[in-house]
Amino acid sequence: MSSVTNSTGSFFNRSLAQMADLRSGIERTRSQIATGRKIERGSQDPAAAAQLRSVAQREALASVEGDNAARLGQDLGAAATEVEAVTALLQRARELALQAANAPTGADGRQAIAAELEQLSQELFSRANGTSLTGEPLFAGQSSGVAFTRDAAGVVTYAGTPESGAVPVAPGTAIERGLPGNEVFQFDLNGTPSSAFAVLGGLTAALQGGAPDPVAAANAALEGIDAALDTTNRATTILGTRMAWVDQVQDQQGDRKIALAERRSRVGDTDIGDAIARLQQTMTALEASQAAFARVSALTLFDALR
Amino acid sequence: MPTAIFTIGRSGLTASRRSLELTAQNIANAANPDYSRRNLTQGELVMTGSIGTNAVDSLGGVRPGIIERAESGLVQRQARDASSALAAAEAEFQALREAESALETSGVFGGIVDYEAALTRLQNNPLEPALRLSAVEAARKMAGNFRIANGTLANARSLVQAEVSAETLTVNELAKELAAINADLVGAREGTAGRAALLDARDKALRGLAEEFGIQPTINANGTADVSITGTPAVALVTGATAAAVSVTYAADGTASFAVGATSFVPAGGAMAGRSSALAEMAGLQVELDALAGSAITLSNAAQAGGAAADGTPGQPLFGGSGAGDIDVVLGSADGLATAPAGSPAGSRDTGNLAALLASLGAASGPSSGADRMLLGLSSRVAALETRSQGLAVVSSSAEAELLRETGVDLDSEAANLVRLQQAFEANSRVIQVAAELFDTILGLR
Repeated sequence: MSSVTNSTGSFFNRSLAQMADLRSGIERTRSQIATGRKIERGSQDPAAAAQLRSVAQREALASVEGDNAARLGQDLGAAATEVEAVTALLQRARELALQAANAPTGADGRQAIAAELEQLSQELFSRANGTSLTGEPLFAGQSSGVAFTRDAAGVVTYAGTPESGAVPVAPGTAIERGLPGNEVFQFDLNGTPSSAFAVLGGLTAALQGGAPDPVAAANAALEGIDAALDTTNRATTILGTRMAWVDQVQDQQGDRKIALAERRSRVGDTDIGDAIARLQQTMTALEASQAAFARVSALTLFDALR
Repeated sequence: MPTAIFTIGRSGLTASRRSLELTAQNIANAANPDYSRRNLTQGELVMTGSIGTNAVDSLGGVRPGIIERAESGLVQRQARDASSALAAAEAEFQALREAESALETSGVFGGIVDYEAALTRLQNNPLEPALRLSAVEAARKMAGNFRIANGTLANARSLVQAEVSAETLTVNELAKELAAINADLVGAREGTAGRAALLDARDKALRGLAEEFGIQPTINANGTADVSITGTPAVALVTGATAAAVSVTYAADGTASFAVGATSFVPAGGAMAGRSSALAEMAGLQVELDALAGSAITLSNAAQAGGAAADGTPGQPLFGGSGAGDIDVVLGSADGLATAPAGSPAGSRDTGNLAALLASLGAASGPSSGADRMLLGLSSRVAALETRSQGLAVVSSSAEAELLRETGVDLDSEAANLVRLQQAFEANSRVIQVAAELFDTILGLR
């Protein structure tokens, strides 16, 4: 017999497979709504999954870079505060030197000035060895020890490194951590290397009677103090510029974070409105298909024959 | 002759009763997927006697013929081939999906990213103990994720291997069954219900074999089926009443090789071909994963060797092991991280060496790009396999529907047959009643 019939088994198989398809579609949409994620496994959309991975990598690095920038800003701020205080201190020292250079100031007056200058030297030394909030030296470059050391004779020498190292704050951008002490406190005076410590120390010694002509010594020291002020002013400018740079980078980081989040959301998040509409549509189709199945499967000749 | 009418009526009754039985059998097996619709052929029974040139016909009614089984070799074959191709794609898809979840959920990529992030954070202040510790712990976590990925991949592999071994047993059982059916079929008489049932069993065994291996059956005139497995080379599995045994062995990298007797072959279709190519891909993935772990180990240890630890001593290796299975942190203390370039004094905050390590980790040849590429390649492969198996599922289900249309039971036509045969049965009994009345009429003549 070669007649072709419409097999009952085939009808049931087909209907079941179609309803199972609809049901699994509903399941998938439902889990997309429940988890808020469009992609459960990479193979559902390999390109989108790769994008999500790169967004996740950028986000992880961006958060670390944000922390780095915040701490860098703090460190630069602390250094700038110290340098500003040092500038004020040097200005006071300049006033004192001017007074000392004034001939009417007597020997007693110069002694008093010398005493104050000694105090200022002490303060300068302790500010030069200032530390950040986490206890790292501010002006020691890449060294973790103190920036300046003072020997028994009172000579202050720089113990740090001439480079301070850079911190990465954005892809391809690294900002110098601070200024090494030799760039803040040391300078070149008429061809010979000198430092704020040497200038103040020398003036103090001269005023305490170490020089036959204290007025001339005070006049001579003015040049050194001016050079020290120039150096600190330059340091303030550099630190200020870097802080402004960090601020700018932080703004950019904020923008990039938003852009990354938007991108992640666009690629990987469920569009709830769309998903709910799709869910409703599929459910309507499933209900209709079930109703049709019930009606059609009831159409058997056995029911008609009684 | 009234007796002839009795005989004719009785033969009609027999034929319609046997047809009814077959209809009932068809209805009872409507839900049996291996059942092929049956039909009873009938033939007219006429006896002709002749003396000289004088021939006289005597009508004898109907003769129940043979039980015909609806079959279509071509459609059977289409359905088998389609299900074979579908089984291959689905087996490979399922196996690789396991591997995909293994590698995705183990967090290899996230571990590498976290390690890089911790090192980037360390650049901020390379001597801060908390940052150093968190960098070492991130390294430990990355190593752990590599080991988890290695373990889950091995797990996925052993699941596929277990399935291959189990299904090999099934194939051997089916082959033995088919050989036994072949032996029985030789002795079965044409047109009997027993033969039809044997043919059903034969087709069922062939379908079962086709799901596992691509097969090339030869149906002989007596209904027996000789089966050879398609592959390179093609090998005979069942010949007449003898069945060969399929065996499988696994190489060290997990790939499977099949043999029938002493002849080894590479299967060309069916779930076994899918599983075998999935195992080959998993071996490739294992190599890639080991290479990733190896590159993380090499880059980190090379950077350590080229730098100075916090106390100024030369850096010691950070990772031990050589692949994803045995990667582990061996650096004793977080102070040992060589952030500064070689020759730096103790307590140097120089991050030159750390920056070099970060640059090599983040390079296009580094582990994070490698992990991304591996995952992208794998998920694209799985997505392609899913699309492929969805397409093949449509082909296979339409071939299945075609087969059911050719051989399956249609309840509506069986219901119609039921009515028709019932009426035939009643009509035949009416014939007998008429014959009896005729007889009575003759006996009542006075």
